[in-house]
Amino acid sequence: MYAAASGMAAQQMQLEIVADNLANADVAGFKGDAATFEDVRAGTIGLGTTSVGKHAVFAQGKLMRSGGPFDVAIDGPGFFVVERGRELAYTRNGEFARDAGGTLRNAAGWTLSAVRIPADALAVRVERDGRVLVDTAGAHGRTIARLRLASFATPEALRPLGATLFAATETSGRARLFAPGGRDGSSIAFGMLERSNVSIVEAMMQILGAQRAYEANAKGVQAADEMLRIANNLHRG
Amino acid sequence: MDALEWLGSAMRAARAQLDVATQNLANVSSDGYRRAEARVALTPQGLVTSSGATHEQGAVRTTGRSFDLALLGGGAFRVGRTTTRNGAFTRDRAGWLVDDRGRRLHGERGPLRVSDRATVAADGIVHDGGRIVDRIPLPPGTHILAGALETSTVNAIGETLSILTAQRAFETAQKTLLAIDATREKRSNDIARVQ
Repeated sequence: MYAAASGMAAQQMQLEIVADNLANADVAGFKGDAATFEDVRAGTIGLGTTSVGKHAVFAQGKLMRSGGPFDVAIDGPGFFVVERGRELAYTRNGEFARDAGGTLRNAAGWTLSAVRIPADALAVRVERDGRVLVDTAGAHGRTIARLRLASFATPEALRPLGATLFAATETSGRARLFAPGGRDGSSIAFGMLERSNVSIVEAMMQILGAQRAYEANAKGVQAADEMLRIANNLHRG
Repeated sequence: MDALEWLGSAMRAARAQLDVATQNLANVSSDGYRRAEARVALTPQGLVTSSGATHEQGAVRTTGRSFDLALLGGGAFRVGRTTTRNGAFTRDRAGWLVDDRGRRLHGERGPLRVSDRATVAADGIVHDGGRIVDRIPLPPGTHILAGALETSTVNAIGETLSILTAQRAFETAQKTLLAIDATREKRSNDIARVQ
């Protein structure tokens, strides 16, 4: 009975994760989560299942052209480095807007590190290798900064801060900064956004599967309960 | 053996079958899990159920993560002091390949330590930057598929059927036991009574 109940708990957790993935399927730069389950046994006696971990799947999302004048996407592995106050975070969501001070800020208020657009800039663009170029009335294509991307030894161990932001942890290792467009194979795509890597169709199928598995496990609990009831009826008043 | 003991053993056997089926069902989403099978044997001590492992291949699901390894064929990965067929490995901070419980994956020369550009070939050979680092030992005829996981071999419909069958078998045994008990009650109480 407890094995079946642990199966129900596992399927419920699976449903919660898929629902969360689906809810963020339209968020640029979102990475879907996946849970891993493993059987539990004591010697030869099966005790059910348990979740041994939940981690983001950092597979590349499709790049799509967007309308934003400061949108950037990463083609390949790596994260943008963003800061708020003295706190650093890492994201693949490149949806930025220019604020009054000239910094590029995302919807949650985190700014892209080391980039300040001069007040007289007429146009801004970002090259494949991360160079930020501005056109002013006097000069054309002046480099004002170079974006650097962060990579981690174990990105799966990053701690999520909201949907698309991550913070470094002890196990993920410290961020290693690298310049895009080089040997690491990542480059910047300007005027593009990375779509979430959640496939809606696949998420729907996972939901159906989890629901069916939940029902089947519930049947197991019911049957075990029924057997106990029958055993109790062995005693005829 | 007495009839009541026989029926008792039948009830225990049905109960054991239920335990195997619920354990399987609970692990319908555990990657690398192989369905256990309840085997009922008729012995002089009554019905005895044992649970045995099955060896059919699970379906393979692609994940795109380079250290997810699916085993095609027999064998298992050696992790720490035990073995598993769940091939979901990640590279930890120091470069060791670890499973979700933090146990290290072993090659022929001990735990595997690689860079993030390492690849695992079908024959188990681990390449890292053009250099062969180690080999994951595999029994003959077994291959590794990187970027994929072997899913559980549990079939939810089959297990639900086993649950229902076990439940009915339990019920039948109980009813028969009650019937025999009723007959015996009659024998000891009614027949002996002097009218």
